[in-house]
Amino acid sequence: MKTSSPTDRSLEHPIIWVAVIGGALGSILLLKAVAWLAFPLILAIVLYYLVQPLLQKLQLAGVTPGQALGIFLGAATVLTVIFSILVLPKMLNFLSEFQNQIPTYWERLQSVLRDNLLALEDRFAFAKKARLADGMEDQLNVFLAGSGKEYVADVALFLLHWLPSLLLVPFLTFFFLRDGTAFHRLVLRAVPNAFFEKTLLLFDRMDAQMRAYFRGMFGLTMLDTVSLGLGLWFLGKGPGIFGFWDAMFLGLICAIFAWVPYIGSGIGGILAVATVAVKAPQSSGLMLAVIFLFLGVRLLDEFIYTPMTVGRALRMHPLVTVMMIFSGGMLGGVYGLLLAMPLLGIFTVLGQMFAEIWFDPRLRARYQARGMLEKRLASRDLGI
Amino acid sequence: MGLVVREDEDMNLANLFRPPPLDPILQVVSGVAIFRECTRGELETLKLHLHERHFLAGEIVFDEGEEGEGMYVVIRGKLRANRKGLLAKKVLGVISPGESFGEMALLGAGERMATVVAEEDSTVLAMFRPELQALAQARPRLGYKIAMGVALVLESRLRKVAEGDSSQPSAT
Repeated sequence: MKTSSPTDRSLEHPIIWVAVIGGALGSILLLKAVAWLAFPLILAIVLYYLVQPLLQKLQLAGVTPGQALGIFLGAATVLTVIFSILVLPKMLNFLSEFQNQIPTYWERLQSVLRDNLLALEDRFAFAKKARLADGMEDQLNVFLAGSGKEYVADVALFLLHWLPSLLLVPFLTFFFLRDGTAFHRLVLRAVPNAFFEKTLLLFDRMDAQMRAYFRGMFGLTMLDTVSLGLGLWFLGKGPGIFGFWDAMFLGLICAIFAWVPYIGSGIGGILAVATVAVKAPQSSGLMLAVIFLFLGVRLLDEFIYTPMTVGRALRMHPLVTVMMIFSGGMLGGVYGLLLAMPLLGIFTVLGQMFAEIWFDPRLRARYQARGMLEKRLASRDLGI
Repeated sequence: MGLVVREDEDMNLANLFRPPPLDPILQVVSGVAIFRECTRGELETLKLHLHERHFLAGEIVFDEGEEGEGMYVVIRGKLRANRKGLLAKKVLGVISPGESFGEMALLGAGERMATVVAEEDSTVLAMFRPELQALAQARPRLGYKIAMGVALVLESRLRKVAEGDSSQPSAT
Protein backbone atom coordinates (compact mmCIF):
# COMPACT_ATOMS: atom_id res chain seq x y z
CA MET A 1 0.00 0.00 0.00
CA LYS A 2 1.82 3.05 -1.21
CA THR A 3 0.84 6.43 0.10
CA SER A 4 1.64 9.42 -2.05
CA SER A 5 2.83 12.67 -0.52
CA PRO A 6 0.07 15.17 0.26
CA THR A 7 1.49 17.80 -2.03
CA ASP A 8 0.86 15.88 -5.23
CA ARG A 9 -2.76 15.04 -4.45
CA SER A 10 -3.30 18.34 -2.60
CA LEU A 11 -6.40 20.03 -3.91
CA GLU A 12 -7.32 17.74 -6.76
CA HIS A 13 -10.80 17.09 -5.33
CA PRO A 14 -13.19 20.02 -5.94
CA ILE A 15 -14.94 19.31 -2.63
CA ILE A 16 -11.64 19.81 -0.83
CA TRP A 17 -10.74 23.14 -2.40
CA VAL A 18 -14.28 24.44 -1.94
CA ALA A 19 -14.00 23.36 1.72
CA VAL A 20 -10.59 25.07 2.01
CA ILE A 21 -11.91 28.41 0.74
CA GLY A 22 -15.17 28.03 2.71
CA GLY A 23 -13.22 27.14 5.86
CA ALA A 24 -10.92 30.16 5.52
CA LEU A 25 -13.83 32.57 4.94
CA GLY A 26 -15.92 30.94 7.68
CA SER A 27 -13.02 31.33 10.09
CA ILE A 28 -12.77 35.02 9.25
CA LEU A 29 -16.46 35.41 10.16
CA LEU A 30 -16.00 33.39 13.34
CA LEU A 31 -12.89 35.31 14.35
CA LYS A 32 -14.68 38.59 13.68
CA ALA A 33 -17.52 37.50 15.97
CA VAL A 34 -15.08 36.84 18.81
CA ALA A 35 -12.63 39.52 17.72
CA TRP A 36 -11.94 40.76 21.26
CA LEU A 37 -10.43 37.35 22.02
CA ALA A 38 -9.17 36.37 18.58
CA PHE A 39 -7.13 39.55 18.10
CA PRO A 40 -4.92 39.08 21.20
CA LEU A 41 -4.81 35.34 20.49
CA ILE A 42 -3.42 35.91 16.99
CA LEU A 43 -0.92 38.48 18.26
CA ALA A 44 0.16 36.00 20.95
CA ILE A 45 0.66 33.28 18.32
CA VAL A 46 2.77 35.68 16.22
CA LEU A 47 4.83 36.62 19.29
CA TYR A 48 5.21 32.94 20.17
CA TYR A 49 6.72 32.17 16.77
CA LEU A 50 9.02 35.20 16.98
CA VAL A 51 10.23 34.47 20.52
CA GLN A 52 10.61 30.71 20.16
CA PRO A 53 13.90 30.86 18.17
CA LEU A 54 15.43 33.09 20.87
CA LEU A 55 14.52 30.55 23.53
CA GLN A 56 15.94 27.79 21.35
CA LYS A 57 19.22 29.69 21.05
CA LEU A 58 19.36 30.07 24.83
CA GLN A 59 18.74 26.34 25.20
CA LEU A 60 21.54 25.64 22.73
CA ALA A 61 23.78 27.69 25.03
CA GLY A 62 23.02 25.14 27.74
CA VAL A 63 20.14 26.50 29.83
CA THR A 64 16.96 24.53 30.56
CA PRO A 65 13.67 25.50 28.85
CA GLY A 66 12.37 26.98 32.12
CA GLN A 67 15.53 29.05 32.63
CA ALA A 68 15.40 30.25 29.02
CA LEU A 69 11.83 31.46 29.52
CA GLY A 70 12.85 33.16 32.78
CA ILE A 71 15.80 34.94 31.10
CA PHE A 72 13.58 36.09 28.26
CA LEU A 73 10.86 37.38 30.62
CA GLY A 74 13.49 39.22 32.70
CA ALA A 75 15.01 40.85 29.60
CA ALA A 76 11.55 41.76 28.25
CA THR A 77 10.61 43.38 31.58
CA VAL A 78 13.86 45.39 31.71
CA LEU A 79 13.38 46.55 28.10
CA THR A 80 9.77 47.55 28.82
CA VAL A 81 10.88 49.61 31.82
CA ILE A 82 13.65 51.30 29.79
CA PHE A 83 11.18 51.96 26.97
CA SER A 84 8.65 53.45 29.40
CA ILE A 85 11.26 55.75 30.95
CA LEU A 86 13.23 56.85 27.87
CA VAL A 87 11.09 56.48 24.75
CA LEU A 88 7.44 56.72 25.87
CA PRO A 89 7.55 60.39 27.00
CA LYS A 90 9.16 61.40 23.68
CA MET A 91 6.53 59.47 21.75
CA LEU A 92 3.70 61.12 23.70
CA ASN A 93 5.24 64.55 23.02
CA PHE A 94 5.51 63.74 19.35
CA LEU A 95 1.87 62.59 19.22
CA SER A 96 0.73 65.70 21.03
CA GLU A 97 2.62 67.94 18.57
CA PHE A 98 1.29 65.92 15.67
CA GLN A 99 -2.26 66.37 16.96
CA ASN A 100 -1.77 70.16 17.06
CA GLN A 101 -0.45 70.14 13.51
CA ILE A 102 -3.32 68.08 12.04
CA PRO A 103 -5.44 71.10 10.88
CA THR A 104 -2.39 72.66 9.14
CA TYR A 105 -1.46 69.34 7.50
CA TRP A 106 -5.04 68.83 6.36
CA GLU A 107 -5.22 72.29 4.77
CA ARG A 108 -1.91 71.71 2.96
CA LEU A 109 -3.04 68.32 1.70
CA GLN A 110 -6.29 69.82 0.40
CA SER A 111 -4.40 72.63 -1.30
CA VAL A 112 -1.95 70.21 -2.98
CA LEU A 113 -4.85 68.07 -4.19
CA ARG A 114 -6.69 71.15 -5.46
CA ASP A 115 -3.61 72.53 -7.25
CA ASN A 116 -3.00 69.21 -8.99
CA LEU A 117 -6.62 68.82 -10.02
CA LEU A 118 -6.67 72.39 -11.33
CA ALA A 119 -3.53 71.61 -13.35
CA LEU A 120 -5.36 68.59 -14.76
CA GLU A 121 -8.36 70.77 -15.63
CA ASP A 122 -6.06 73.17 -17.51
CA ARG A 123 -4.67 70.37 -19.63
CA PHE A 124 -7.74 68.20 -20.25
CA ALA A 125 -11.12 69.51 -21.30
CA PHE A 126 -13.03 66.53 -19.87
CA ALA A 127 -11.50 67.21 -16.42
CA LYS A 128 -12.58 70.85 -16.64
CA LYS A 129 -16.06 69.78 -17.69
CA ALA A 130 -16.24 67.39 -14.72
CA ARG A 131 -15.07 70.23 -12.37
CA LEU A 132 -12.77 67.82 -10.57
CA ALA A 133 -11.25 70.37 -8.14
CA ASP A 134 -14.61 71.79 -6.98
CA GLY A 135 -16.17 68.36 -6.83
CA MET A 136 -13.36 67.05 -4.64
CA GLU A 137 -13.59 70.04 -2.32
CA ASP A 138 -17.36 69.62 -1.95
CA GLN A 139 -16.98 65.92 -1.23
CA LEU A 140 -14.32 66.59 1.41
CA ASN A 141 -16.47 69.28 3.07
CA VAL A 142 -19.45 66.92 3.18
CA PHE A 143 -17.22 64.19 4.59
CA LEU A 144 -15.79 66.47 7.28
CA ALA A 145 -19.18 67.84 8.26
CA GLY A 146 -20.80 64.41 8.47
CA SER A 147 -19.21 61.00 8.58
CA GLY A 148 -15.65 62.32 9.17
CA LYS A 149 -16.50 63.21 12.78
CA GLU A 150 -18.19 59.85 13.22
CA TYR A 151 -15.06 58.08 11.96
CA VAL A 152 -12.91 59.90 14.51
CA ALA A 153 -15.32 58.86 17.26
CA ASP A 154 -15.33 55.29 15.91
CA VAL A 155 -11.53 55.15 15.93
CA ALA A 156 -11.42 56.47 19.52
CA LEU A 157 -14.02 53.87 20.60
CA PHE A 158 -12.14 51.15 18.71
CA LEU A 159 -8.92 51.98 20.56
CA LEU A 160 -10.68 52.06 23.93
CA HIS A 161 -12.29 48.73 23.13
CA TRP A 162 -9.04 47.05 22.08
CA LEU A 163 -6.54 48.31 24.59
CA PRO A 164 -7.74 46.15 27.53
CA SER A 165 -7.83 42.99 25.43
CA LEU A 166 -4.24 43.68 24.30
CA LEU A 167 -3.18 43.09 27.90
CA LEU A 168 -4.00 39.44 27.24
CA VAL A 169 -1.19 39.18 24.66
CA PRO A 170 1.83 38.77 27.01
CA PHE A 171 -0.25 36.51 29.27
CA LEU A 172 -1.24 34.17 26.42
CA THR A 173 2.27 34.22 24.91
CA PHE A 174 3.80 33.18 28.23
CA PHE A 175 1.55 30.13 28.48
CA PHE A 176 2.05 29.20 24.82
CA LEU A 177 5.81 29.25 25.42
CA ARG A 178 5.62 27.40 28.72
CA ASP A 179 2.92 24.79 28.06
CA GLY A 180 2.79 24.61 24.25
CA THR A 181 4.23 21.09 24.06
CA ALA A 182 1.95 19.72 26.79
CA PHE A 183 -1.12 21.26 25.12
CA HIS A 184 -0.07 19.79 21.78
CA ARG A 185 0.11 16.31 23.37
CA LEU A 186 -3.25 16.77 25.07
CA VAL A 187 -4.94 17.59 21.76
CA LEU A 188 -3.29 14.62 20.06
CA ARG A 189 -4.62 12.23 22.69
CA ALA A 190 -8.10 12.68 21.22
CA VAL A 191 -7.00 11.46 17.77
CA PRO A 192 -7.88 7.82 16.91
CA ASN A 193 -4.93 5.44 16.53
CA ALA A 194 -5.53 4.91 12.80
CA PHE A 195 -5.12 8.61 11.99
CA PHE A 196 -2.51 9.40 14.61
CA GLU A 197 0.66 9.48 12.50
CA LYS A 198 -1.01 11.47 9.74
CA THR A 199 -2.43 13.94 12.24
CA LEU A 200 0.98 14.43 13.78
CA LEU A 201 2.34 15.13 10.35
CA LEU A 202 -0.48 17.62 9.80
CA PHE A 203 0.31 19.42 13.05
CA ASP A 204 3.96 19.54 12.09
CA ARG A 205 3.22 20.97 8.66
CA MET A 206 0.82 23.57 10.05
CA ASP A 207 3.39 24.54 12.66
CA ALA A 208 6.10 24.82 10.00
CA GLN A 209 3.79 26.82 7.72
CA MET A 210 2.83 29.28 10.43
CA ARG A 211 6.41 29.59 11.70
CA ALA A 212 7.73 30.23 8.19
CA TYR A 213 4.96 32.72 7.50
CA PHE A 214 5.22 34.80 10.67
CA ARG A 215 9.02 34.82 10.79
CA GLY A 216 9.11 35.55 7.07
CA MET A 217 6.66 38.41 7.48
CA PHE A 218 8.75 39.81 10.32
CA GLY A 219 11.91 39.67 8.16
CA LEU A 220 10.05 41.15 5.19
CA THR A 221 8.73 44.00 7.34
CA MET A 222 12.25 44.78 8.56
CA LEU A 223 13.67 44.75 5.01
CA ASP A 224 10.83 46.93 3.69
CA THR A 225 11.21 49.33 6.62
CA VAL A 226 14.94 49.74 6.04
CA SER A 227 14.61 50.08 2.24
CA LEU A 228 11.73 52.56 2.37
CA GLY A 229 13.14 54.40 5.39
CA LEU A 230 16.57 54.87 3.80
CA GLY A 231 14.99 55.85 0.47
CA LEU A 232 12.66 58.40 2.07
CA TRP A 233 15.48 59.77 4.21
CA PHE A 234 17.77 60.11 1.19
CA LEU A 235 15.05 61.83 -0.86
CA GLY A 236 13.85 64.03 1.97
CA LYS A 237 17.08 65.10 3.60
CA GLY A 238 17.87 67.73 0.89
CA PRO A 239 14.65 69.71 1.33
CA GLY A 240 14.79 68.93 5.08
CA ILE A 241 11.49 67.00 5.10
CA PHE A 242 12.53 63.92 7.03
CA GLY A 243 14.97 63.26 9.82
CA PHE A 244 16.48 59.75 9.81
CA TRP A 245 14.11 58.35 12.46
CA ASP A 246 11.05 60.09 10.93
CA ALA A 247 11.83 58.39 7.62
CA MET A 248 12.31 55.03 9.33
CA PHE A 249 9.02 55.42 11.24
CA LEU A 250 7.15 56.22 8.03
CA GLY A 251 8.91 53.27 6.36
CA LEU A 252 7.73 51.00 9.19
CA ILE A 253 4.12 52.15 8.88
CA CYS A 254 4.19 51.57 5.10
CA ALA A 255 5.83 48.14 5.63
CA ILE A 256 3.02 47.20 8.05
CA PHE A 257 0.43 48.27 5.47
CA ALA A 258 2.17 45.97 3.02
CA TRP A 259 1.05 42.98 5.13
CA VAL A 260 -2.13 43.16 3.08
CA PRO A 261 -0.97 41.81 -0.29
CA TYR A 262 -1.30 44.07 -3.36
CA ILE A 263 -3.63 46.62 -1.72
CA GLY A 264 -1.47 47.43 1.32
CA SER A 265 1.55 48.60 -0.70
CA GLY A 266 -0.69 51.02 -2.58
CA ILE A 267 -2.13 52.44 0.64
CA GLY A 268 1.41 52.77 2.08
CA GLY A 269 2.54 54.58 -1.09
CA ILE A 270 -0.39 57.01 -0.91
CA LEU A 271 0.43 57.67 2.75
CA ALA A 272 4.08 58.45 1.96
CA VAL A 273 3.15 60.70 -0.98
CA ALA A 274 0.58 62.49 1.20
CA THR A 275 3.25 63.02 3.88
CA VAL A 276 5.61 64.55 1.31
CA ALA A 277 2.74 66.68 -0.03
CA VAL A 278 2.02 67.96 3.46
CA LYS A 279 5.66 68.64 4.34
CA ALA A 280 6.73 70.13 1.00
CA PRO A 281 3.62 71.13 -1.00
CA GLN A 282 5.60 72.83 -3.79
CA SER A 283 7.94 69.97 -4.71
CA SER A 284 5.94 67.82 -7.13
CA GLY A 285 9.23 66.29 -8.37
CA LEU A 286 9.81 64.85 -4.92
CA MET A 287 6.35 63.30 -4.88
CA LEU A 288 7.15 61.64 -8.18
CA ALA A 289 10.47 60.42 -6.75
CA VAL A 290 8.60 58.88 -3.77
CA ILE A 291 6.24 57.10 -6.18
CA PHE A 292 9.27 55.69 -8.03
CA LEU A 293 10.82 54.69 -4.70
CA PHE A 294 7.69 52.71 -3.83
CA LEU A 295 7.63 51.06 -7.23
CA GLY A 296 11.31 50.14 -6.82
CA VAL A 297 10.77 48.65 -3.36
CA ARG A 298 7.72 46.79 -4.69
CA LEU A 299 9.96 45.18 -7.35
CA LEU A 300 12.61 44.36 -4.73
CA ASP A 301 9.83 42.84 -2.61
CA GLU A 302 8.55 40.72 -5.44
CA PHE A 303 11.84 39.37 -6.77
CA ILE A 304 14.29 39.42 -3.85
CA TYR A 305 12.80 40.05 -0.40
CA THR A 306 9.74 37.79 -0.52
CA PRO A 307 11.59 34.74 -1.92
CA MET A 308 14.29 35.37 0.73
CA THR A 309 11.87 35.61 3.69
CA VAL A 310 8.31 34.33 3.33
CA GLY A 311 9.31 32.15 0.40
CA ARG A 312 6.81 30.81 -2.01
CA ALA A 313 5.10 28.46 0.42
CA LEU A 314 1.97 30.58 0.61
CA ARG A 315 2.04 31.61 -3.02
CA MET A 316 -1.36 31.14 -4.57
CA HIS A 317 -2.61 32.09 -7.97
CA PRO A 318 -2.89 35.92 -8.06
CA LEU A 319 -6.58 35.67 -8.93
CA VAL A 320 -7.25 33.45 -5.88
CA THR A 321 -5.17 35.81 -3.71
CA VAL A 322 -7.01 38.95 -4.78
CA MET A 323 -10.43 37.28 -4.54
CA MET A 324 -9.61 35.95 -1.08
CA ILE A 325 -8.38 39.35 0.13
CA PHE A 326 -11.46 41.15 -1.15
CA SER A 327 -13.82 38.48 0.20
CA GLY A 328 -11.96 38.55 3.54
CA GLY A 329 -12.21 42.35 3.62
CA MET A 330 -15.91 42.22 2.82
CA LEU A 331 -16.62 39.66 5.53
CA GLY A 332 -14.19 40.75 8.23
CA GLY A 333 -13.08 44.33 7.43
CA VAL A 334 -9.43 45.13 8.16
CA TYR A 335 -9.32 41.96 10.16
CA GLY A 336 -10.35 39.88 7.17
CA LEU A 337 -7.88 41.67 4.87
CA LEU A 338 -5.00 40.75 7.17
CA LEU A 339 -6.06 37.21 7.98
CA ALA A 340 -7.33 36.00 4.61
CA MET A 341 -3.97 34.74 3.31
CA PRO A 342 -2.56 33.10 6.48
CA LEU A 343 -5.92 31.39 7.06
CA LEU A 344 -6.03 30.20 3.47
CA GLY A 345 -2.51 28.78 3.94
CA ILE A 346 -3.53 26.90 7.09
CA PHE A 347 -6.74 25.57 5.53
CA THR A 348 -4.80 24.44 2.46
CA VAL A 349 -2.59 22.25 4.65
CA LEU A 350 -5.67 21.02 6.53
CA GLY A 351 -7.41 20.24 3.24
CA GLN A 352 -4.38 18.40 1.89
CA MET A 353 -4.08 16.25 4.99
CA PHE A 354 -7.82 15.64 5.25
CA ALA A 355 -7.77 14.41 1.65
CA GLU A 356 -4.81 12.22 2.54
CA ILE A 357 -6.72 10.60 5.42
CA TRP A 358 -10.23 10.60 4.01
CA PHE A 359 -9.37 9.17 0.61
CA ASP A 360 -7.18 6.43 2.11
CA PRO A 361 -9.54 3.42 2.42
CA ARG A 362 -6.99 1.48 4.47
CA LEU A 363 -6.86 4.12 7.21
CA ARG A 364 -10.65 4.28 7.35
CA ALA A 365 -10.82 0.47 7.49
CA ARG A 366 -8.37 0.47 10.39
CA TYR A 367 -10.48 3.05 12.19
CA GLN A 368 -13.62 0.94 11.69
CA ALA A 369 -11.77 -2.21 12.78
CA ARG A 370 -10.87 -0.51 16.05
CA GLY A 371 -14.56 0.34 16.54
CA MET A 372 -15.49 -3.31 16.00
CA LEU A 373 -12.80 -4.47 18.43
CA GLU A 374 -14.16 -2.08 21.06
CA LYS A 375 -17.70 -3.32 20.46
CA ARG A 376 -16.60 -6.94 20.73
CA LEU A 377 -14.75 -6.19 23.94
CA ALA A 378 -17.73 -4.39 25.45
CA SER A 379 -20.21 -7.19 24.60
CA ARG A 380 -17.92 -10.18 25.27
CA ASP A 381 -19.93 -11.49 28.24
CA LEU A 382 -23.35 -10.67 26.79
CA GLY A 383 -23.57 -13.69 24.46
CA ILE A 384 -24.49 -11.64 21.37
CA MET B 1 0.82 4.87 75.74
CA GLY B 2 4.20 5.73 74.28
CA LEU B 3 4.86 7.20 70.87
CA VAL B 4 5.39 4.52 68.22
CA VAL B 5 8.21 5.34 65.82
CA ARG B 6 8.00 3.51 62.50
CA GLU B 7 11.37 2.70 61.11
CA ASP B 8 10.29 2.32 57.52
CA GLU B 9 11.92 3.85 54.46
CA ASP B 10 9.97 7.12 54.71
CA MET B 11 11.54 7.92 58.04
CA ASN B 12 15.06 7.25 56.84
CA LEU B 13 16.82 10.63 56.62
CA ALA B 14 19.15 9.34 53.91
CA ASN B 15 16.11 9.12 51.58
CA LEU B 16 15.70 12.89 51.76
CA PHE B 17 18.90 13.29 49.77
CA ARG B 18 17.97 10.71 47.16
CA PRO B 19 16.13 11.80 44.02
CA PRO B 20 12.49 10.61 43.89
CA PRO B 21 12.02 7.32 42.04
CA LEU B 22 11.82 7.54 38.27
CA ASP B 23 8.38 7.65 36.69
CA PRO B 24 7.34 4.00 35.87
CA ILE B 25 7.05 4.84 32.17
CA LEU B 26 10.51 6.40 32.16
CA GLN B 27 11.86 3.33 33.93
CA VAL B 28 10.85 1.28 30.90
CA VAL B 29 12.14 3.95 28.49
CA SER B 30 15.51 4.11 30.23
CA GLY B 31 15.95 0.39 29.52
CA VAL B 32 15.36 0.77 25.77
CA ALA B 33 18.63 0.46 23.84
CA ILE B 34 18.12 3.78 21.99
CA PHE B 35 17.69 5.79 25.19
CA ARG B 36 20.15 3.91 27.40
CA GLU B 37 22.74 6.73 27.34
CA CYS B 38 20.21 9.41 28.36
CA THR B 39 20.52 10.99 31.80
CA ARG B 40 17.57 11.32 34.14
CA GLY B 41 17.08 14.99 33.15
CA GLU B 42 17.18 14.09 29.48
CA LEU B 43 14.61 11.35 30.00
CA GLU B 44 12.32 13.86 31.73
CA THR B 45 12.69 16.17 28.71
CA LEU B 46 12.13 13.26 26.36
CA LYS B 47 8.88 12.40 28.13
CA LEU B 48 7.40 15.67 26.89
CA HIS B 49 7.86 14.41 23.33
CA LEU B 50 6.52 10.88 23.79
CA HIS B 51 2.90 10.08 23.03
CA GLU B 52 1.20 7.30 24.95
CA ARG B 53 -1.15 5.20 22.80
CA HIS B 54 -3.27 2.19 23.72
CA PHE B 55 -3.92 -0.57 21.19
CA LEU B 56 -6.50 -3.33 21.55
CA ALA B 57 -5.57 -6.94 20.77
CA GLY B 58 -5.80 -7.33 16.98
CA GLU B 59 -5.43 -3.61 16.24
CA ILE B 60 -2.84 -2.54 13.66
CA VAL B 61 -0.18 -0.05 14.77
CA PHE B 62 1.10 0.57 11.25
CA ASP B 63 0.96 -1.11 7.88
CA GLU B 64 3.72 -2.37 5.65
CA GLY B 65 4.21 0.12 2.79
CA GLU B 66 2.76 3.17 4.53
CA GLU B 67 4.87 6.27 5.09
CA GLY B 68 6.58 6.00 8.48
CA GLU B 69 6.75 9.02 10.73
CA GLY B 70 8.19 7.68 13.96
CA MET B 71 9.16 4.86 16.29
CA TYR B 72 7.41 3.12 19.16
CA VAL B 73 8.46 1.72 22.53
CA VAL B 74 6.37 -1.04 24.10
CA ILE B 75 5.41 -0.29 27.70
CA ARG B 76 2.86 -3.03 28.27
CA GLY B 77 1.47 -5.96 26.25
CA LYS B 78 2.84 -7.75 23.24
CA LEU B 79 2.93 -6.96 19.52
CA ARG B 80 3.78 -8.94 16.40
CA ALA B 81 5.65 -7.82 13.29
CA ASN B 82 4.60 -9.41 9.98
CA ARG B 83 5.79 -9.10 6.42
CA LYS B 84 3.94 -10.03 3.28
CA GLY B 85 5.32 -13.24 1.81
CA LEU B 86 4.70 -14.86 -1.56
CA LEU B 87 2.00 -17.16 -0.18
CA ALA B 88 1.40 -16.08 3.37
CA LYS B 89 2.41 -13.54 5.97
CA LYS B 90 5.84 -14.06 7.42
CA VAL B 91 6.09 -13.42 11.17
CA LEU B 92 9.27 -11.45 11.84
CA GLY B 93 9.03 -11.57 15.60
CA VAL B 94 7.24 -10.64 18.77
CA ILE B 95 7.88 -7.29 20.42
CA SER B 96 7.71 -7.19 24.21
CA PRO B 97 7.80 -4.45 26.86
CA GLY B 98 11.08 -2.52 26.84
CA GLU B 99 11.62 -3.13 23.13
CA SER B 100 11.25 -0.64 20.33
CA PHE B 101 10.18 -0.84 16.69
CA GLY B 102 9.89 1.44 13.66
CA GLU B 103 13.19 3.22 14.38
CA MET B 104 14.09 3.62 10.71
CA ALA B 105 11.33 6.21 10.38
CA LEU B 106 13.26 8.43 12.77
CA LEU B 107 16.08 8.70 10.25
CA GLY B 108 14.04 9.67 7.24
CA ALA B 109 10.67 9.38 5.53
CA GLY B 110 10.26 6.00 3.96
CA GLU B 111 7.87 3.12 3.70
CA ARG B 112 7.31 0.83 6.67
CA MET B 113 8.90 -2.52 5.95
CA ALA B 114 6.51 -4.57 8.09
CA THR B 115 3.03 -4.51 9.58
CA VAL B 116 2.87 -4.39 13.38
CA VAL B 117 -0.25 -5.73 15.11
CA ALA B 118 -1.06 -5.82 18.83
CA GLU B 119 -1.26 -9.45 19.96
CA GLU B 120 -2.77 -8.43 23.26
CA ASP B 121 -3.98 -5.11 24.67
CA SER B 122 -0.84 -3.00 24.60
CA THR B 123 0.45 0.41 25.58
CA VAL B 124 3.18 1.99 23.50
CA LEU B 125 5.02 5.29 23.49
CA ALA B 126 5.39 6.96 20.12
CA MET B 127 8.17 9.33 19.16
CA PHE B 128 7.96 11.20 15.88
CA ARG B 129 10.62 12.41 13.52
CA PRO B 130 9.57 16.08 13.37
CA GLU B 131 9.49 16.21 17.16
CA LEU B 132 12.87 14.49 17.44
CA GLN B 133 14.29 17.02 14.98
CA ALA B 134 12.92 19.90 17.04
CA LEU B 135 14.25 18.29 20.22
CA ALA B 136 17.67 17.77 18.65
CA GLN B 137 17.78 21.44 17.64
CA ALA B 138 16.99 22.56 21.17
CA ARG B 139 19.06 19.86 22.94
CA PRO B 140 21.81 18.76 20.50
CA ARG B 141 23.50 16.48 23.03
CA LEU B 142 20.27 14.56 23.59
CA GLY B 143 19.63 14.49 19.84
CA TYR B 144 23.10 13.05 19.28
CA LYS B 145 22.57 10.34 21.91
CA ILE B 146 19.26 9.27 20.37
CA ALA B 147 20.68 9.32 16.83
CA MET B 148 23.62 7.19 17.98
CA GLY B 149 21.21 4.87 19.80
CA VAL B 150 19.15 4.40 16.63
CA ALA B 151 22.32 3.79 14.60
CA LEU B 152 23.57 1.18 17.09
CA VAL B 153 20.22 -0.65 17.16
CA LEU B 154 20.07 -0.75 13.38
CA GLU B 155 23.70 -1.85 13.18
CA SER B 156 23.03 -4.69 15.62
CA ARG B 157 19.96 -5.79 13.65
CA LEU B 158 21.81 -5.71 10.35
CA ARG B 159 24.57 -7.78 11.90
CA LYS B 160 22.01 -10.34 13.13
CA VAL B 161 20.39 -10.48 9.69
CA ALA B 162 23.84 -10.96 8.11
CA GLU B 163 24.51 -13.76 10.58
CA GLY B 164 21.18 -15.37 9.66
CA ASP B 165 19.23 -14.66 12.88
CA SER B 166 15.78 -13.44 11.88
CA SER B 167 14.21 -13.56 15.36
CA GLN B 168 14.37 -9.76 15.71
CA PRO B 169 11.56 -7.61 14.26
CA SER B 170 14.03 -5.89 12.01
CA ALA B 171 13.58 -3.02 9.64
CA THR B 172 10.14 -1.90 10.64
